[in-house]
Amino acid sequence: MNTSDYLLANAKDGVLAFVTKDFSVTYLLFKSICASLVIELKNRNIRSGDRVAILGKNSPFWAAAYLAILKINAIAVPLSTMLSADNCERNLTFVDCKFLFVDKSLYAKYSGICQKIEYFCLDNSLLQTENVQWKFSGSAMKVNRDAALLFTSGTTARPRAVRITHRNIQANTESIIQYLDLSAAERLMTVLPFFYCYGTSLLHTHLRVSGTLVISNTFAYPETVLDLMEATNCTGFAGVPSTYQALLRNSTFPRRKLPYLKKIQQAGGKLYNELLKELINSHPLAKVYVMYGQTEATARLSYLPPELLSSKLGSIGKGIPGVTLSVVRESGEPIQTGEIGEIVAIGDNISPGYLNDPDASREKFSNGLLFTGDMATVDEDGYIYIVDRKSDFIKSYGHRVSSYEIEACVLQIPDVIAAAAVGVPDEYAGEMIKVFVVLRNNSILKTENILEHCRSHLARYMLPKEITIATTLPMNAHGKVIKSELKKMGGPY
Amino acid sequence: MQTIQEKLRIFIAQNILFSQNGFPYDDETSFLENGIVDSASVIELVLFIEEQYGISVKDSEVVPQNFDSIQNLSRYITRKTQDV
Repeated sequence: MNTSDYLLANAKDGVLAFVTKDFSVTYLLFKSICASLVIELKNRNIRSGDRVAILGKNSPFWAAAYLAILKINAIAVPLSTMLSADNCERNLTFVDCKFLFVDKSLYAKYSGICQKIEYFCLDNSLLQTENVQWKFSGSAMKVNRDAALLFTSGTTARPRAVRITHRNIQANTESIIQYLDLSAAERLMTVLPFFYCYGTSLLHTHLRVSGTLVISNTFAYPETVLDLMEATNCTGFAGVPSTYQALLRNSTFPRRKLPYLKKIQQAGGKLYNELLKELINSHPLAKVYVMYGQTEATARLSYLPPELLSSKLGSIGKGIPGVTLSVVRESGEPIQTGEIGEIVAIGDNISPGYLNDPDASREKFSNGLLFTGDMATVDEDGYIYIVDRKSDFIKSYGHRVSSYEIEACVLQIPDVIAAAAVGVPDEYAGEMIKVFVVLRNNSILKTENILEHCRSHLARYMLPKEITIATTLPMNAHGKVIKSELKKMGGPY
Repeated sequence: MQTIQEKLRIFIAQNILFSQNGFPYDDETSFLENGIVDSASVIELVLFIEEQYGISVKDSEVVPQNFDSIQNLSRYITRKTQDV
């Protein structure tokens, strides 16, 4: 089935599809907006297989553009709104983009690009769209064709675009809906960008169940998000570790009642046990789902059932329905208990590869297997625990040190909001351990206190040589700390 | 003596916009709507005004009415320093 038809198949006309601070959009209106943008694309001669980019903050119009592109079997290319105009243009050229949907509010920043490519401005005027029929197509389609190209968050010299097929989207969406037990009653506070695979998965899953997405683009001021959650009785929230760090340690979230909040989702990196426990205890009536995935898997690979949070704290769980995860040695054999290996995945959500990058594709994907680049152990019940990214291990005095372990230790200190451990070349140690920390407002904690804490908890070869207190950590558009930038830093950041 | 607005314009230009050419917007311009701030830069602003003006910013006070423009920030700082 065409993915847009698939996503709108259960839509209940009278139910709210999107809510913002200023307006709401029912599924009836949303379908009309989607249908009108399909007409727009056809009028501009956009054909099946053409790449069409979307450049905007989360909005019903972004979502409608996305569905319109998929409806005509063109290929959607969501772009990060944090890109400079040059990098944006580079990405557009890389995918050979034919057309661009751009937020009117971003037009000024990207006006140079708009001189070079045909575009359509998305703004509130689309709310006035007259009733346009959304026509469901009865015919089958080739589900293995590309539906979208998602740029990864990894820092590489050239852009890396993951090919996501219609089958990938539908398989991952079905699976996520199943384990999260989503229904039309969901009202999800959405702060994660749609151009990031985790954000796109929120869009896919909630449209498919005819749920409501409450959109806020003002997480820079967390209180505004919390106010809107209260006002709209949100039943769900999805965040990455930095979202929860901010909510738990820099906002009134732990003190807000939020009686309707039933499901809290966390993915996009490791939320350390201390913070995870704080999250669980902040709203005990809500279920916390710890999840794991990557863009190359459409979004999701595993989840931990909430009831196992205490017995399996720190685990990413097991494969989601339809996905098989194993942890293997270099040789490809499964590891034994106590060993560390790489997580590999197989399932209908695995991307066919990177656009125009056969070498990188060959390395990452092999015989239908996805080599995730994440190193893990497995317990006797088959639950997976990530130890570190393959590339983030620090080689200190002959030992392979997990940066996660150091970070988790430092995060035990209540005044620490965020921590990142990196290795930099050192004559004696091989790599010297440097830790960057961000402290709570008004904290009087000193680097000596942090080192003292590490000394009482970590082995000698795991002790940081240098601790830097920073006001912030460099992060990419997906909320992930850019460790390669920290490695380059000399003095205090 | 620099006014609060002048100090804020310099700080934001240098530390958030990384510009040597001053703050290019007027005092009423919304930081958020113009992509001037994100979560990280709001935190930097909080730390800056706490240090500069010796005030203690509560989490619940980090809202657009207090923080989202030179004008709003300056009013907030004035109010807080008078309360102390």
